[in-house]
Amino acid sequence: MIAIALRTLRHRPGGFAATFLSAFLGAALLMAFASLLDTAAGADEASAESLGTTASVAGGWCLVIVVFAVTSTLSLAVRQRGDQFAVLRRAGATGPQLRRMIVGEAVAVAVLAAGVAVPVGLAGGRVLLGLLKDTGQVADGVGYAFGPVALAAGFGVTLIGAVIAGFATSRRTSRMGVKRERPRARRIAAGLFLGAAAGCAVLTATVMDGKGIDAMQTAGQAGIWGSLGLALLAPELLRLTGTSVRLASAVMPVTLFSGIATGTVYMQGIEDDAAAGQIQPDYARDIQTLNYVVVGMITVFVAIMLVNTLIAATVHRRREFAQLRLAGATRGQVTAMVAAEALRVTVTGILAGSAASLFTILPFGSARAGEIWPSASIAPYAVIAAIAVLLTATATLGTTRRSIRGPALPQA
Amino acid sequence: MTDAVRVESLYKTYDTGTPVTALDGVSAAFEAGTFTAVMGPSGSGKSTLLQCAAGLDRPSAGRVFLGGAELTATGDTAMTKFRRERAGFVFQDYNLLPALTVEQNVVLPLRLARRRADRGRAREVLGTLGLAERAGELPERLSGGQRQRVAVARALVGRPAVIFADEPTGALDLRSAREVLALLRTTVRDFGRTVIMVTHDPMAAAYADTVLFLADGRLAGQLSAPTAEAVAAHLTELVAA
Repeated sequence: MIAIALRTLRHRPGGFAATFLSAFLGAALLMAFASLLDTAAGADEASAESLGTTASVAGGWCLVIVVFAVTSTLSLAVRQRGDQFAVLRRAGATGPQLRRMIVGEAVAVAVLAAGVAVPVGLAGGRVLLGLLKDTGQVADGVGYAFGPVALAAGFGVTLIGAVIAGFATSRRTSRMGVKRERPRARRIAAGLFLGAAAGCAVLTATVMDGKGIDAMQTAGQAGIWGSLGLALLAPELLRLTGTSVRLASAVMPVTLFSGIATGTVYMQGIEDDAAAGQIQPDYARDIQTLNYVVVGMITVFVAIMLVNTLIAATVHRRREFAQLRLAGATRGQVTAMVAAEALRVTVTGILAGSAASLFTILPFGSARAGEIWPSASIAPYAVIAAIAVLLTATATLGTTRRSIRGPALPQA
Repeated sequence: MTDAVRVESLYKTYDTGTPVTALDGVSAAFEAGTFTAVMGPSGSGKSTLLQCAAGLDRPSAGRVFLGGAELTATGDTAMTKFRRERAGFVFQDYNLLPALTVEQNVVLPLRLARRRADRGRAREVLGTLGLAERAGELPERLSGGQRQRVAVARALVGRPAVIFADEPTGALDLRSAREVLALLRTTVRDFGRTVIMVTHDPMAAAYADTVLFLADGRLAGQLSAPTAEAVAAHLTELVAA
């Protein structure tokens, strides 16, 4: 069974590019942060504590995002090959056999991605340690180590994520007969995430009030959980705006990106304003650097996920475009239609992300600056929205143009 | 003679907003070693009947017997195992896996059933169908007629008692269609298999021993030793009625 799966992988490696890329990036990030724990084993007490905090706070963010990204890209890759699984089903494959194939493929991709990620994670960890040394948080004499914790985190999380994603996806695919979307589990997960977000937000505004920069821990978490929760509700959000639910997979990354980026950037902005003229704990600059580093990395990560999702979704619609062209639509009309859809996807995603970022911004503003609505410039928000629009537009229109090039012939 | 396949008062309702009844109480028996064509206007339920009889889909009510054992009484996995031991399939759109070679496609049902993937048997079947030299190629290099012959080879490789064919000639040119139909008839006459074929083409139906007509999910007549003209005439009546 696994042999058939591997042959399919080799035949159409492109279908797994997005899964591979998100697993690779995720494994590299996780290894980089986890290697700080390896490093801490050989460091003095103060340095070790700082390394541990950095690794667990930032690593925790990555963990959630990695599992989410691998799941969503893998289920897209599997869904696109639905007809192949139907063929196998008809050739006599049982549900458990299909499940083994899908999970086998996912594990193969994950192992390969984590393997390739080792040198990148190693280099990334070195850069992180350098940053921590530059800000004086870790003693200069501490030597970099990349060992069992880094490898276990990188391989372990990527593998477990792939297995979970594989099982979740195959459950849907291996069922007999008509496939029905079963939104219950997704909605329950969304509810739990939003609950966690609200919990963190309340904690920030109450328990963490007056704790200064430490309130960032819970405030940052609130925004991430909120973004994940709203991202999972993408189909419902699209239905509200009357847009086709098929595009839900594109709304998710836009929501995550704008939610986490907006939340973190404004949280740091509030912190910077509040800290002006105050005596700060010596790790404040450290955290500031780390915040921007993490926002940067998550931005790159989510951007790649977004572009890949959109390209996959658009390529998948090649047939639909061909039919439109056959029915007499000009290339310009098809492009305009896609552009209008992309706009709705982006706006929905940005609005959801903005709402999610409030889980971070409002309680943190109240805890740190004593004002719920931050007196901050709108410029960073505008930049984040512009990046989201640019990414969506480039990915969608570029792919669409490529798939409708040439005469309006029926496609096989 | 024993029945290779028997269905008893099959009902199938699709629930897509407003319920649609595809099968409305169909009972039929298909004798071993016969070639039966199932015909009817679009939406008459002929493909649904085939899918239920073959264990690809479950009827809403009613029973299906394959080789004397009841198929409908078992769970999903048991049903799949049962059907891959006793049935072979040929579909309009070939249903070959693009990543596998011709030979790998042919032995796929055996491998899924964990039976020894007997290369000799695969070569033998491919040779019979004039595809021996194509064994190592990918399906995309083959013409439609050749692909359908690979699908027939795959259906035959496990020596199943029954072969189910859903519009097997629907995508083929006239010559390839005739080759595939002649093949199906040969498997019945020379190898004692049972073939049940859904088609809308009277010419294809004329290759069968018996034609079963369906209309609105119910049986609507039967013809033995059919000719294309007689089948066409019966169909015209059905559509007019």
